[in-house]
Amino acid sequence: MTENKNKDGDKHITKSAQSIGYWQLFMIFVKAGCAFGGGLGILAVLEDELVTRRQALSKEEFLATYALGRVVPSGTMTALAVAYGFQFGGWFGTVLALTGLILPAFGLTIGLTIAYSFLKNSEFIQLLPVTVLPAALAFIVVAAIRLGKDVFRPSLDFVLAAAAFGGAFFFNFNPAILLVLGGVTGIFIFGRENKENKVEPKQEGTAK
Amino acid sequence: MMLLELTWLIFLFNLITFGNGPTMIPLLQQSLVNERGVLTLDQLLYAFAIARVTPGPANVYVTSIGYMLFGIGGAVATTLAITFPGYLMLPLLRGYDHLKNSKVIKNFTRGLTTTSVGLIFATTVSIADKTLVNLLAWIIFGFTFVLSYFLKWNQIVCLLVASAAGFILNFWLK
Repeated sequence: MTENKNKDGDKHITKSAQSIGYWQLFMIFVKAGCAFGGGLGILAVLEDELVTRRQALSKEEFLATYALGRVVPSGTMTALAVAYGFQFGGWFGTVLALTGLILPAFGLTIGLTIAYSFLKNSEFIQLLPVTVLPAALAFIVVAAIRLGKDVFRPSLDFVLAAAAFGGAFFFNFNPAILLVLGGVTGIFIFGRENKENKVEPKQEGTAK
Repeated sequence: MMLLELTWLIFLFNLITFGNGPTMIPLLQQSLVNERGVLTLDQLLYAFAIARVTPGPANVYVTSIGYMLFGIGGAVATTLAITFPGYLMLPLLRGYDHLKNSKVIKNFTRGLTTTSVGLIFATTVSIADKTLVNLLAWIIFGFTFVLSYFLKWNQIVCLLVASAAGFILNFWLK
């Protein structure tokens, strides 16, 4: 590969995966970090830059990395920044990609937080409960509904989610403990579900 | 509460919740608002609101919380805490083929995310109970919900329009 690169000259190198330089890598992730719409907005920019325009990755590679990123405990996009940063620029590349991704949000967030401390000492703070705060609650509800879409159907998922809701809401169980319990429960109930689906498809327990 | 403790908590919460968005809100509310009382519910909601309207990753509300409690150092530390676990991606990429077929990991993750949905709803209801204290708050909440969920407006526009509406209605009703 490296031999070919030397022979082919500059034009071909710009098309190959290894040729994304540090600066380019950083700028791709800054652009991704400026995307609105959370994870999917960022994903759209990365797809456009890495798959469509530069053809540095195939669509399959891109989706496989995305799927893996979802398994990592942390933001999926943070995980993708580490993966692509490393692929195109080694350890230093991971730092560049992460910095690029976080920087725009970091700056704006701090700016708006400073605005809050100014508001805190003014009369405007009394308006927060009838302006920004109910709006923020609406955003949480919308996000919760979207996250829960797959769960709202008669299924074991629904039972588990309802149990977690009850445990947290009525019994005030610690959320961290509930999460770990939920994960372990998942291994048992979903594992059985998969087996039953394969071996005994008529079983009522797995009916939808 | 010390900066190290906050960083450690957020690092831990980020590890046990998967994905972006409000997954950490139940844990933060429990530990920072209810148990330790270092943050008010209003501050948590404000942090969440600005994370929604800024571009980039959706969980930068921890950056805002870090700044509120410890200034710029806090903001950097909490941001690093949610960024660092991304490095787990590297060993994962190596063990990809093995992991792809691991039912146990898949089911564990599914159990975790499902539980997370239940927790988010529980927290949402308890926050709503404290936030929707008067008619105007209900109106602005409903208004924003319709704009965001049904009309799918951009969240910045939603926030600006809803805040302006609340601002005007507040003086008009008085």
